[in-house]
Amino acid sequence: MSRPDISYSQLLETNNLIQNCGDETYWLCLTRTVQGSKLFPVSAYILFSYLNAFYRYPALLRKIEASMPAETIADRARTMGMKIQNSAIGWALPNFYLLGRELLITFGMLRPQDALEDVVYVMDFWKRYLLSWHRNDGHLTNREYGQRAQILPDRRLEVFHRDLYLCEPGDALHQVAHSFLATASQYGFLISCESRISLTNSGPYRLDDRHEMIVRDFMDLGECALPWLDGVAADVPYNYLTVPMSVRDCHFSIVDDWGSFESKPEFTSDKLAGIGLYTSDALSEGFVPVGMGSREELTATFQSLNERMKEATHKLWLRIAGWTRDQMLDAGALTYYNIIKDLAHVAGVFAVEDWLTIDPRAERFRPLFNDEFSDQLLGSLVVGHDLPSHRQSPYTMMQHSDRPVRTYTPLPYSVLAGDEYVASCGEPQSGTSNLVPKIDRYRTTQGVLTIDEYNRRARAFTPELCQEKYRFLCETWVKYHHQTPLAQDLYRLEQRQSRTLQGKGAGPR
Amino acid sequence: MKKLHIDDDRYGTPPQSVLLEAVMNSVNDLVRRRFTDSQLPWSQFVFGASDRLITKADFTAVEKQLLDTGYRFKWSAVISQREHPDIYCPADGATDDAASFSFDHPDALVGEPDAAGRAACGQGENVVRRQSNAIGIARYIRSSERVIEFMNKGVPPGSIAIIDDSGGTLTAPILEHFAGIVCAGGTIRSHLGILAREYGIPCLMNARLRGIRDGDRVELESSADAMTAEAYFTGVAKTASIWKLAP
Repeated sequence: MSRPDISYSQLLETNNLIQNCGDETYWLCLTRTVQGSKLFPVSAYILFSYLNAFYRYPALLRKIEASMPAETIADRARTMGMKIQNSAIGWALPNFYLLGRELLITFGMLRPQDALEDVVYVMDFWKRYLLSWHRNDGHLTNREYGQRAQILPDRRLEVFHRDLYLCEPGDALHQVAHSFLATASQYGFLISCESRISLTNSGPYRLDDRHEMIVRDFMDLGECALPWLDGVAADVPYNYLTVPMSVRDCHFSIVDDWGSFESKPEFTSDKLAGIGLYTSDALSEGFVPVGMGSREELTATFQSLNERMKEATHKLWLRIAGWTRDQMLDAGALTYYNIIKDLAHVAGVFAVEDWLTIDPRAERFRPLFNDEFSDQLLGSLVVGHDLPSHRQSPYTMMQHSDRPVRTYTPLPYSVLAGDEYVASCGEPQSGTSNLVPKIDRYRTTQGVLTIDEYNRRARAFTPELCQEKYRFLCETWVKYHHQTPLAQDLYRLEQRQSRTLQGKGAGPR
Repeated sequence: MKKLHIDDDRYGTPPQSVLLEAVMNSVNDLVRRRFTDSQLPWSQFVFGASDRLITKADFTAVEKQLLDTGYRFKWSAVISQREHPDIYCPADGATDDAASFSFDHPDALVGEPDAAGRAACGQGENVVRRQSNAIGIARYIRSSERVIEFMNKGVPPGSIAIIDDSGGTLTAPILEHFAGIVCAGGTIRSHLGILAREYGIPCLMNARLRGIRDGDRVELESSADAMTAEAYFTGVAKTASIWKLAP
């Protein structure tokens, strides 16, 4: 194909997005993590996932958008704590895809201009989604905002803030909340096969001169689209939990596009000053309080969740310890690859075949991914930058490293002058998995559903706050219209389940 | 033989790793051969014929070519070596119940016992600065079997986990029961470091150790300054000591 149906400005913008992703990936991988696991072949499954993402994301994102546009899903994302925030969409979506592309370019199996329309589409989906999701802070990424994510609107932050239960080191709530955060983090790493993608944080939000709040999300906790949780997580009553947390005398200096935070001084449990607990999903009217009726109820709820998650951790660990390497490879690869699967849940188009199988075009690479080759290749791909495709003109100085390299190969503009290219890698092919098949059981806020029922309800559902009447009532509008009946309605909707603000509306600040 | 786009790379140089270079060359050769044999233009090969013509068997052959030279891969996950001992280096020293095992890092700062019987046996990076040092009995945790043993018997009170896995999954069922953690790898941002911070367990990451044996009484300088992201980025070393104490 020649003379693409894509303009110069589209290519310019796509290459800008690609370059930004590459610079950020290098910084994140260099400063945020060094992982080693004796349980999981982590590097091998990560590489495997990148290839699956390359071959499948374009078609699956188009399938999702046929049901619901990226911007609409992102608007909904601000009303819940599903896995459609960071790192899932903010970083993983474009970068898993681009890292798969870079691998194939290095292997000689792809030219820079191949799958050109796929690349433009994936990056455009990502841009539209993130601009919508970051609507309130006006940035594309946390990186662009100086490693910060102020996603939520005033009305939701006010509810989170005012409904916090204050706690002090030594009291029962503080003790059990601290324990819950550790247990949920531990469980999250295990659920996600030694990755942090079941956990994310957003914020910080200023409460007063001594206090900041961050919002912590724990995702895929119950029986969900991760088949290894079937049975072992049956007693975990929520699939998504959101924990607004206020801290005293501690500034969150970094909340990055992986959803990780750093603070000055280092956050330790003695700085925890207030806490709340909510659940949500594609079928809920926003954030639903969990155990928030009283301090005693919240303490007991954290305690109960703690026990259930510890029990699930033990059962899951024993299940994983019995896996073969191929099963570990599949579970890890699918955990990474399907990090964006909640887009399909919200759009009501989730299919096991789409998100829980390895495409044969990726599967064929399995024999290459022994531990040593994978460790070295992954290191070179994201930080070492010593693969031939990384090398640039010797005059070039990459951001952060000053070396003549770049993480990702840009799209060549020469296609606009007639250079031949291939538009797309095509539709997903029938995939396989070495794992026990997923049982048709999905924990939601409307009970445990089959996937067909979950999809049907998701397609039919629009949270009230996301309906057209309210959708575009942004922070700027609220600033100048807070006394109007419509603003009162908007705030009262958000306050429906608040124990302190119910019915109060949008009063002056 | 037809050329691939990578054959005309003006700036590309081979990767530093000999293993990477060898595998990449084999894969590139494979693609070149299949493309030539297909007699198709690239546009029909790339997402059409190549899906069928470049197969799993081809990549198995790439690996076999390496193994036929006598090369054996280093393993990082225990399952890899256990399932495929024929392609990985031996697992010597991987068991953690051998009383004689100890990490033996060449850069470990070691010293003779002082008057109180406290001997330096390495250093690591402190995750969170604490009021006091942590003291306990060293317990190596390096295999699933050891984890299951502690799941069944319980972790003895006052145990310091000595781990070479910076992840957060191997020790998931037992981690919270330790009085301290020393990890011979990773950084303070590794999953194990994050979990130690969440649990409030004193922890030194990226430790260089020599001479600590299972059952030794050890002290971690968890009162030292914590490592920071800025220090990693600028290459500034910030270390906390580890001592072996008199029994």
